[in-house]
Amino acid sequence: MTDKIIEKVAIQTDESRNQSRRAFLKGGAAVASGVLFTQAASASDIKFNPKKAVAPYANKKEITDVLADQKSRKALGFGVRKYPYGLPSPFEREVQRRTLEWLTPDSMASITMSPLQSLHGIITPNGLHFERFHGGVPTIDPDKHRLVIHGLVERPLIFTMDDLKRFPSVSRIHFVECPANGALEWKGVQLNSVQWTHGMMSCVEYTGVRLSDLLKEAGIKPEGKWIIPEGADASGMSRSIPLELAMDDCFVAYAQNGEALRREQGYPIRLVVPGCEANMWVKYLRRIMVHDVPMQHREETSKYTELMPDGTAQRFSWYMEANSVITYPSPDFHMQGPGKYYVRGIAWSGRGKVDHVDVSTDGGKNWQEAHFTSAVLDKAWTRFEFEWDWDGKEAFLMSRVTDETGYVQPPMPQMRNLEGTNNVYHRTAMVTWRIHDWNNGKDGGRIQNVQY
Amino acid sequence: MFNTKKIILVAGITAVFAGLSACNEKLTSNVTPIMDGEYASNYVEIIKANDGKYLDSKVIEAILGKGATHGRDGLQGKLDPKNPYSFEVDDSIDGGNHGNSQCKVPMAFTRVQDSAAKNYKNDATFVAKGFGTPIAEAALEKWNITVDGDGKGLPDSSVGMTVEEGGAVYVQFCAMCHGEFGEGAKGYLALAVDEDLIASDPKDPAPMKSVGNYWPYSATLFDYIRRTMPFWTPNADYIGDKGYLGITGYIMQANYIPIGFDEDGESMELEDDTFYNAEVLMKQNKFMKNQGNFFCDHRPIIHNERCMKDCPDTMVGDGSGDIHNFVEARKLPDGTPQYNVPQRLNEAPPGVGHTGM
Ligand code: HEC
Repeated sequence: MTDKIIEKVAIQTDESRNQSRRAFLKGGAAVASGVLFTQAASASDIKFNPKKAVAPYANKKEITDVLADQKSRKALGFGVRKYPYGLPSPFEREVQRRTLEWLTPDSMASITMSPLQSLHGIITPNGLHFERFHGGVPTIDPDKHRLVIHGLVERPLIFTMDDLKRFPSVSRIHFVECPANGALEWKGVQLNSVQWTHGMMSCVEYTGVRLSDLLKEAGIKPEGKWIIPEGADASGMSRSIPLELAMDDCFVAYAQNGEALRREQGYPIRLVVPGCEANMWVKYLRRIMVHDVPMQHREETSKYTELMPDGTAQRFSWYMEANSVITYPSPDFHMQGPGKYYVRGIAWSGRGKVDHVDVSTDGGKNWQEAHFTSAVLDKAWTRFEFEWDWDGKEAFLMSRVTDETGYVQPPMPQMRNLEGTNNVYHRTAMVTWRIHDWNNGKDGGRIQNVQY
Repeated sequence: MFNTKKIILVAGITAVFAGLSACNEKLTSNVTPIMDGEYASNYVEIIKANDGKYLDSKVIEAILGKGATHGRDGLQGKLDPKNPYSFEVDDSIDGGNHGNSQCKVPMAFTRVQDSAAKNYKNDATFVAKGFGTPIAEAALEKWNITVDGDGKGLPDSSVGMTVEEGGAVYVQFCAMCHGEFGEGAKGYLALAVDEDLIASDPKDPAPMKSVGNYWPYSATLFDYIRRTMPFWTPNADYIGDKGYLGITGYIMQANYIPIGFDEDGESMELEDDTFYNAEVLMKQNKFMKNQGNFFCDHRPIIHNERCMKDCPDTMVGDGSGDIHNFVEARKLPDGTPQYNVPQRLNEAPPGVGHTGM
């Protein structure tokens, strides 16, 4: 009995496979006819041969093995509210934020990276959002949290969470990127995963109150030229932001992907500074001081300044340059043999929308334009895809973004020539994935992070 | 300040831009540049006529003149504070040899400027909603721990202690992580290193940066340690402003920051019995060694063409057209790649790695 069923399933599977090809060739006529399996099969001039049909599986017994096991379908699943707050399938447990313990001496002043290789589309799930703390994560009672705006303002104000939620709201999708994203790669390559090379960023939908609304509510005095947001965490995180930037498109967010911010991302409120270095997006925001000069605080002098090869350093590097990376195929994957691949990745720019993404398979000599498979939003990830016929030969995959300001992402040698290798931050040049020669699969379809 | 900057740019530039061939994307603008000395004074118009493409090499060429985009002169010109693309503005406020340097969003970033104007300067229709509660500045005393680059916000000069007393507080609360003399401990940051900021080889580890050789302002040090340290119990009442000033003095002494120069031009150092207060701290603000070496971000300094076919060698592979000249991760002595070295040497727990390593 069971054997029969298996056989039938096998036949159907293969039949439908053949069928869909035919349906495709016939321009959908078979689909229109309704009953796919039976009708189409009988209409075929090629008689179905079960022996031939299983041939593609000949050396891959494991693919059809599962057909012997019907139990998982019959078993009764769990009921509602087993997980009042849902969790991913246990089979996704490898999809995690990860850290490199040798990066910092302490987990309270450290970073984790998002698993970009396992993400789809342009939204990062809240539980996989990258983390960066300077003084650990406080657990703040929103009823006791306040936001104060003071300094060079007409009327200093104190807001409760309820006050903030009364204001008109905005919801926008933006990427948030630590300026040290890519930092591991200044001196050459170190690690074989896009999680390590580009994971210090995420992209989520934020909801909150326009900062310009809040600042106007307090009324900026004419001498007020800078704002200094400050966090309620142990590090009292603070940065100086010029007023034009604050009045452009910043907002104070209380929600992330439709729910309250996670503690790791600043619960109950954080500043959103679209397109700019993530350390300016002060979390646990509790105070905004309006001032006439920048503060020159530690996070804009000792850190987050960029050492050049001659010993000088750039400071106040607010905007994140346009950047892009191929997430599939990337070093976490293996090539499955010559043939067609849909090369995918993400592109983003701190200065606006992404205009074009081009893909090269020959180390930058020739480029072809990829198309976008997601919405193209301001200062947000944009998903691109590129159809590639791989001939099985060694290839050097790169992506290159052009943003709406006309900026074209540079190759690494160019950036290195200008900025040296001691910079730490803003390493936004292209990366290269070396696809090893297929060589009959002897190398396992290896994909390697290399650097020019 | 600009001099040092020029050197690095010039060094990189010739190699990078040589051999860039023109691609066929055209300027859509029909706005004629009005060259006014160094650059077109109608640059905002030119940018807007080109869909806000202020970083497009063609747009920049129209504004800065031919040759300005890709040549040495162009990049040197870009360091001029009057230049529309430069982030640099006048160093304004007194506070050191270069003042509390202000950077700003360039006027050439027309979208940011327009949006800020719309939301703020030109928003005549704004009516306050009256949400939130007015509060007196005085009520914020506890929260307002900000000290700016000019020293505004420092305790008054009666508060402080001697450098030697400060050293004792430091040893008690800081030395276990940062070392008795600021040399660093257990992987925590050093607070006093005298490393050169120029690595001799690009592959060398990046130079260590700390208070003496890197920090541009002394006021920052007091603000930061009072705000954030000791790491586990920051902004501690049991240290207090007095203690934090003393610690600051001790760290400044460990970094050999002078408090002035005598008649013979010899630098005067902090003595153990110097009473360290806000006044001494701000005196030292003028003598931070590295203060003149910071410049405002003026990215991007790269203005590439979007080349699609047979791109010039400078843009291909290793920068000379060779696509097989790449670096891989370094190898351990046994030949395996150096990924996860601590894990491989069993110095760290496994689990950080991932497939393929
Ligand atoms: C438990 C260990 C620990 C103790 C104790 C500690 N610190 Fe720190 N310190 C750190 C860590 C961790 C950082 C880095 C924090 C970060 O990156 O956000 C740091 C950073 C600093 C920095 C900034 C260094 C730089 O180059 O940016 C200074 C200055 C500093 N500490 C001073 C002090 C002083 C003064 C004390 C005593 C009052 C102290 N620390 C006590 C762990 C400690």
